[in-house]
Amino acid sequence: MSEYGLKVGTVTVGSAGPITFGPAGILFLADNAAAKVFAVDVADPGPQAGSEPFDVANIDARVASFLGCDSDDVVIRDMAVHPTSHNVYMSVQRGRGDAAQSVLVRIDGLDGSITDVPLVDVPVAEVAISDAPAADDERLDTTLPMGAEGELVTFGERTLRILRRPIRTSTITDMAYIDGALLVAGLSNEEFSSKLRRIPFPFRDEVTDNNLEIFHVSHGKWETAAPIRTFVPYEGGRSILASYTCTPVVHFPLADLTPGTKTVGRTVAELGAMNQPLDMVSFVQGGEEHLLVANSAHGLVKIACRDIDAQTPLTEPKEPVGVPRETEDLRGITRLANLNGSHVLALQADDDGRQHLRSLKTASL
Amino acid sequence: MADVTWSRCGEEDCLRVGGAAPDAEVRVRTGTAVAAGEFPPMAGRLVRDGDDACFVPRFAFVEGTTYTVLVEGAVAAVLVRPRPDREATTEVLDIRPTATDVPRNLLRFYVQFSARMSEGYAAGHVRLVDDAGNEMVGALLPTEHELWDADRHRLTVLLDPARIKRGLVAHRETGYSIRSGESFRLVIDEGFCDARSTPLRARAERRYAVRGDERHRVDPFLWRVTVPATTTVHPLDVMFDRPLDHGLLSRCLRVVGPDGRPVEGTAVVGPEEQSWRFTPRRAWAPGAHHLVVDPVLEDLAGNSVSRVFDRDLSRAEDAPAEPRPVTLTFTPERGGATR
Repeated sequence: MSEYGLKVGTVTVGSAGPITFGPAGILFLADNAAAKVFAVDVADPGPQAGSEPFDVANIDARVASFLGCDSDDVVIRDMAVHPTSHNVYMSVQRGRGDAAQSVLVRIDGLDGSITDVPLVDVPVAEVAISDAPAADDERLDTTLPMGAEGELVTFGERTLRILRRPIRTSTITDMAYIDGALLVAGLSNEEFSSKLRRIPFPFRDEVTDNNLEIFHVSHGKWETAAPIRTFVPYEGGRSILASYTCTPVVHFPLADLTPGTKTVGRTVAELGAMNQPLDMVSFVQGGEEHLLVANSAHGLVKIACRDIDAQTPLTEPKEPVGVPRETEDLRGITRLANLNGSHVLALQADDDGRQHLRSLKTASL
Repeated sequence: MADVTWSRCGEEDCLRVGGAAPDAEVRVRTGTAVAAGEFPPMAGRLVRDGDDACFVPRFAFVEGTTYTVLVEGAVAAVLVRPRPDREATTEVLDIRPTATDVPRNLLRFYVQFSARMSEGYAAGHVRLVDDAGNEMVGALLPTEHELWDADRHRLTVLLDPARIKRGLVAHRETGYSIRSGESFRLVIDEGFCDARSTPLRARAERRYAVRGDERHRVDPFLWRVTVPATTTVHPLDVMFDRPLDHGLLSRCLRVVGPDGRPVEGTAVVGPEEQSWRFTPRRAWAPGAHHLVVDPVLEDLAGNSVSRVFDRDLSRAEDAPAEPRPVTLTFTPERGGATR
């Protein structure tokens, strides 16, 4: 792992965020408390797996049982499938408040058994999200505290109690690894912007990521930027399909993303009112690439990539949905990942809120 | 039945099983054994301590959770991890904006708490309520990702941007979350728990009246700057043309002295986020100073110095500006002046 700059160390995650696999079975793990991404060698023990489906009922209750807490105290923040063993990894937040712990669990792809992945004394590298504030940045976040917090500072003849603390944060909403770079989408707790960061991997000491702001146009009349909630590379990483918090699904070629220049993506679909995108995955069916979009209000949305290529930007307000798409009768799906060439793995909540791992046969989607 | 108690094993919490045979299998499950039977046992290790077997969990016991201890497969005890009775002391210190009138395309609120808070409560305990007392369902952005500051004291709450942005399906189908000429309240109820898992001392709310839309870029050249006198530590006062975002004001304005270095001092956002006051640590020097405005600074509707929130492509005046800092120059003079 030294070729990727990983050195033995400890991964301390304050708030479990998204996970995704990179080269050589390295797992990228986001910490949304510290605005960091770790690259961890998870030492996956599994043999090369085949194309069998994998289903586990009540996965939230099983993980909670292993972690010694009730299901209500477990939040599955993300899911990723190991590229060769097909073991399933879950980024989990256990408990709440000061008692909360971030845990990385592995679900064995053969027997469904659960283990927690060691994060102490493991090969690891980390990178900070570059425009998160430095803790010692005096320019930032100086306020007059209400109580006895902070420090006394003298201004001329007056002494004031002031408080300096980082209040601006970046919450990572999705990540993907493409050709030597980690793409990271995030939400700021302050400014409203659409930034996709491209961070070269292996991580370097100097700040090397670049921020790419991708605008999108609605109906040829309104241009806007918004945080990207989830995105998926397709066409071998040549293109990105991103879904925004305000629900347009926007296409842009990765080659168009040049730092410092304005990029306008092509809106190809909208998920509609009272809805939020949750996750996306691409898969091949009948020799053609397709995309699935999990969302909060409807069943899975399936989009054929050839329709995206043929789609002109949405210009007519009477036809808001864009590309032809199918709403699969699969509701409650919050996370998606490629299991193998034959199946997409879905994390699905039933009507009672119980969560299950379910394999969806790509030929039947 | 074995004697099972909450205990300590060395430096760690444990469940102590007295009288268990040295090679007895001890398992711990959450809930009752009947319900949890098919699921994996709690991760942990067994440590012999004299005649006792201590189950030391890999992950700490959770207050209020029921644990079943099985010895050789038989239920030995069912215990609930005690939850200390803690007094509710945490409260909401402020809800921002503090402006009483907000634009119809208002984008965000900040809720400032007096102590560290828990994640996972925002969706169920923060809501908009109309004047009739009805919850305005769908007004706020439902997000899996709660937006906290680093020490979990300040929560950012967004109105659903899809209902604000013109041209989007959500905007056309359901319209703005709030309506001009009407009032609403942002309510944080007591059930929002702090980091000790204790509810708030009291609910908190702020009432707003809704005016028309705000759809112009923030233009620092429209601000009124009261210039202090040299040799004093009088504040630099900046009055805005409209309320600005409290969170961004805290970091988007800075003062640079004639030597090109930041002037040390402290800044306070004024009432209703309409003004900003900077008090220098040392007396103002003579010469040209600069108030440097970061172009990400936004108003209450998310319009920034460099762009409008949603741009009507037919309006040339709304074309985005270069995302570079904007500088207002002022020169402290004897007796002061107004720019």
